[in-house]
Amino acid sequence: MEVTRLSLRDFRNYQHLDLPLSPEITLLYGPNAAGKTSVLEALFYLATTRSPRVGADRELVRWEAEAEAGVPPFARVFAEIQRLTGHMRLEVIVQRRTDEDGQLTNTASKLVRIDRRPARALDLVGQLRVVLFTPADLVLVDGPPAERRRYLDITLSQLDPHYVRTLAHYQKIVQQRNSLLRAWRERRRSPRAVDDELGYWDQEMTAAAGYLLAERLRAVGELNALVGPLFQAISGGTTPLSIDYLPSLALHEARDAGSLAHRLMQELRNHRRDELARGQTLLGPHRDDLSFTVGAVNLGRYGSRGQQRSVALTLKLGEAALMRQRAGDAPVLLLDDMLSELDAQRRAHLLEAVSLPGQQTLLTATDLADFRPEFLTKITRLRVEEGRIY
Amino acid sequence: MTSRSENLVVEPVARLIDELARLPGIGPKTASRLTFFLLRAEAEQTRTLAEAILAMRAQVTLCRRCYNITVGELCAVCTSTTRDQSKICVVEEPLDVLAIERTGAYRGLYHVLHGHIAPLEGIYREDLKIDQLIARVRSEPIDEVILAMNPNTEGEATAFLLLKDLASLGVRITRPARGLPTGGDLEWADPDTLGSAFEGRREL
Repeated sequence: MEVTRLSLRDFRNYQHLDLPLSPEITLLYGPNAAGKTSVLEALFYLATTRSPRVGADRELVRWEAEAEAGVPPFARVFAEIQRLTGHMRLEVIVQRRTDEDGQLTNTASKLVRIDRRPARALDLVGQLRVVLFTPADLVLVDGPPAERRRYLDITLSQLDPHYVRTLAHYQKIVQQRNSLLRAWRERRRSPRAVDDELGYWDQEMTAAAGYLLAERLRAVGELNALVGPLFQAISGGTTPLSIDYLPSLALHEARDAGSLAHRLMQELRNHRRDELARGQTLLGPHRDDLSFTVGAVNLGRYGSRGQQRSVALTLKLGEAALMRQRAGDAPVLLLDDMLSELDAQRRAHLLEAVSLPGQQTLLTATDLADFRPEFLTKITRLRVEEGRIY
Repeated sequence: MTSRSENLVVEPVARLIDELARLPGIGPKTASRLTFFLLRAEAEQTRTLAEAILAMRAQVTLCRRCYNITVGELCAVCTSTTRDQSKICVVEEPLDVLAIERTGAYRGLYHVLHGHIAPLEGIYREDLKIDQLIARVRSEPIDEVILAMNPNTEGEATAFLLLKDLASLGVRITRPARGLPTGGDLEWADPDTLGSAFEGRREL
């Protein structure tokens, strides 16, 4: 899959950008804060409807963007993409909201169009598939469990429209369920007919969780087949990397969505008392984790910095390989300032991965000296300065 | 805005602005506009408005039987002799009754819950007219209860609880079908709606 054209309006520091893109490798280079990463961010945003950088959508709107004829400032991201199935136009408009007196508020609204038709944000996820590589990927290995769940969720959401919907539903149900448990714990209500009142939330939660768990387990199985050899090549070692899914409850032999939902339902009943005492949902995909081991060593805990970096890079390359394998179509790779972070061997592997035929890649760098001259002659180079691309 | 209007505007005007601004969908700007409109309006018009508000509060109550809004003890549906006394349609809000009445497709009785289960908003079973519904199903000659809650998470949660409570009472429990809007277009329907339309398809 490839992005043939990206156009931005009042997005980050771009007032206006209209950029035809090469189907192969494009290098965006220039000084810091010039707007290199914003181009990658725009593509990531179109693929996931989330920014990898900020929580609040309104921050995507260029600061100096002005209201026009009473229309509050907005940012527009538009891309034309070419997939196996054909050509598509994706568009997101993020508009800042104003209060009654016309003052900008801290909120923004999001408008999505697919091929000019209005669509929901969830429908946009996965139309364009990307894998973003950044030096911050190290948190996948040494950061909190939420980072590793996010890794699986972003990958699967882009591959499976049902996954992204189920995840959104699951999160909503868990919030409601937590409020109910908290009200009992804080004695705002007497805990009568607890099973009846939790009945609906348990049923919805376990049904959604069953699907999420089954899909995550399947993805981890497929990833393991892919990352083993990748890690050996990147780390230069002989022992493969193994990824384990660490569920918050014993799954026993359950693997399909139905039996996983059933397992979770049983365990929720066993943990009623704990959940009431803690006032929150203690079991489910939102409490799970991944572990990375080589030989018998857990690299999250005992790995060297170098090993951890190798694992993070392997996970990202594995994510790309999984997408290629499942969808039969390569995702667009976005490499943000990656090369300065890597030693010669890892850099060579990364550049090999992006040089595959049919692979579109955008990478950013501050310094061309990180690249060999023969690499530079093969690719498209674009100089980025102060929100302009030359 | 409040402090500004207190400083620059005489107290009775500021007071009305502040009261109006507390209404949903009305901000300080609209509140000021309405207030100054009323200030210049005929005395008669302001009196009718004030009286209408007071009368609404004083006269409108909830129907003793179905909890729809009404004047007097019972609502028009509950007092009607032509309504089917064996069916109760359970809805979340009085406005839902109006919507169903407009269809003309239903001739039974209603029961208004005044909300839906939503722990996040602090709305629980006891905040709804659920026990009152159970009492009605027990004491009236009901043979069908239609659960017409909104087809969203909170509505479904409410229906689920009601189903549990009603299951042992020996009445037929139904839900309105979910599916495609009339005059709609298959290719524009969202996947969830289209999916439930297929699940709920029927023999012709």
